[in-house]
Amino acid sequence: MTDRTTLPFDDPLTTMPQPNRQVFTVTTLTSAIRTLLETTYREIWVEGEISNARVWKTGHLYFTLKDTGTQINAVMFRSTVRYLRFKPENGQYVVTRGRVTVYDPKGEYQIVCEHLEPQGLGALQLAFEQLRERLDHEGLFDTARKRPLPLLPRKIGIVTSLDGAAVKDILTVIGRRYPNTNVIISPTRVQGEGAAREIVRALGHLGGIPGVDVIIVARGGGSIEDLWAFNEELVARAITTAPVPVVSGVGHETDFTISDFVADLRAATPSAAAELVVTPKEELAAQIRRAEDRLRSAVTAGLQQRRAAIHILDRRPGLAGWPARVAGHGRYTAELSHRLNSAISSMVGRRIRDIHTVRLRLEALSIGRRLGQIRARLVSARTQLAQATRHAHTDRATRLRAAVGRLEVLSPLAVLSRGYAVCWTADRSVVVRDATAVRPGQSVTVTLHKGELDCEVRSTK
Amino acid sequence: MTDAPEPSIKDFESALSELESLVKTLEDGTLTLEKSLELFERGVKLSRYCHTRLEEAEKRIEVLTDHGEARSAPATLSDSPSETG
Repeated sequence: MTDRTTLPFDDPLTTMPQPNRQVFTVTTLTSAIRTLLETTYREIWVEGEISNARVWKTGHLYFTLKDTGTQINAVMFRSTVRYLRFKPENGQYVVTRGRVTVYDPKGEYQIVCEHLEPQGLGALQLAFEQLRERLDHEGLFDTARKRPLPLLPRKIGIVTSLDGAAVKDILTVIGRRYPNTNVIISPTRVQGEGAAREIVRALGHLGGIPGVDVIIVARGGGSIEDLWAFNEELVARAITTAPVPVVSGVGHETDFTISDFVADLRAATPSAAAELVVTPKEELAAQIRRAEDRLRSAVTAGLQQRRAAIHILDRRPGLAGWPARVAGHGRYTAELSHRLNSAISSMVGRRIRDIHTVRLRLEALSIGRRLGQIRARLVSARTQLAQATRHAHTDRATRLRAAVGRLEVLSPLAVLSRGYAVCWTADRSVVVRDATAVRPGQSVTVTLHKGELDCEVRSTK
Repeated sequence: MTDAPEPSIKDFESALSELESLVKTLEDGTLTLEKSLELFERGVKLSRYCHTRLEEAEKRIEVLTDHGEARSAPATLSDSPSETG
């Protein structure tokens, strides 16, 4: 290396003798320098701190690489920038691989970077942190954005590889919890170049299928490189814009990907994702059954309450006493009828006695014709009286029979057969109509339709 | 019974939660007889819907092609190990 670097400029006095001095044009000199630099520093590694980093509209990245003493301009062309997994930022300490070249218009040398990696933190880790920070800043991780999962998904979309264990794990869990679930898998590669794009496309397909109302994005465990697709910004954005909730189940419990942060729900593993999405069928069925049971008993209880209310109303003084009162009226009627009968009998008897007296007196007077006339009238009067009496009697008897008939219908016995009961004092002398008529501790007898109960009053209300 | 059209049932979840809140209302027991019978009928309808929804899904595992068309999954997938228990 030493010999080459010292070749043309080693000793200008000797190599460029005065008489036939070689005069470069700026262009040829620059070109010569360029050739020299480009052949000498064709593939080198340089480390330094980034400053003045900026991406031009063209997509090329320009920055200055510096250390304590000096600096060098650096450029990374768009085609290479695309593959950068982190965003170069001022202050980052990086190592770059590239070649030294000269920018002719300005006569400046610079390094064209083919590769750039952060020192310290791994490139992927740094990229991860950067994207996480940015999306978080955008609010894509906000809990308010998280959509609830459907309780009973009609169809479950799955984005994963058909070759991995993840898909089998998920199907096993679903088959166990809810055997008749409809599942649609959109197969993708889950690692390597292009995996991210496939995942994005799969999300798009599944989101457009009617009936798919939740999507699982899954992959088994692996290194950060293996899981990288799930840290890609385009995948993250596809998850946030999916029309239905997305559950991520990527890697193991300890793996966190950007997809996990933006998903509506993060599951630790693919199996866990399936468990979050599918509620066991039996659990749902039991929940419905419980609701049905409560529904029935609530209505039944309502009806029973009403029945009880009617029963209580039935026993209120206004209504409760009526059979007894009717019975009372009946007794009163019978008594009246009896008194009427005896009144009639005694009246008739008195009349008959009066007639006897009169006849005796008339006979005693012995007034011939007048006596005959009087006797005739007397006989007729007697007949009439007897008839009247008989009629009166018959009428009363008829009414009495009717009353008794009605009474029988309403008799306590008939009432008893309908479920009423008569409460007596223990010696059966008095019917208890009023709670105040008995005292706690007192014995009462309750007559039912069939049989009787000996009871003791516990309390009165 | 009212002339108002029967409120439609949106999905399983809303049906189940309507059923449960309806049961709570009924259990409060402050409704008229007519209203509670009306709720009961609605409740029976909702629970029937839920049971139907629970059973109607058809076990099917499909795989999308690159063009987004569904075809049934290869046997190795759809014959996922049926677990004991």
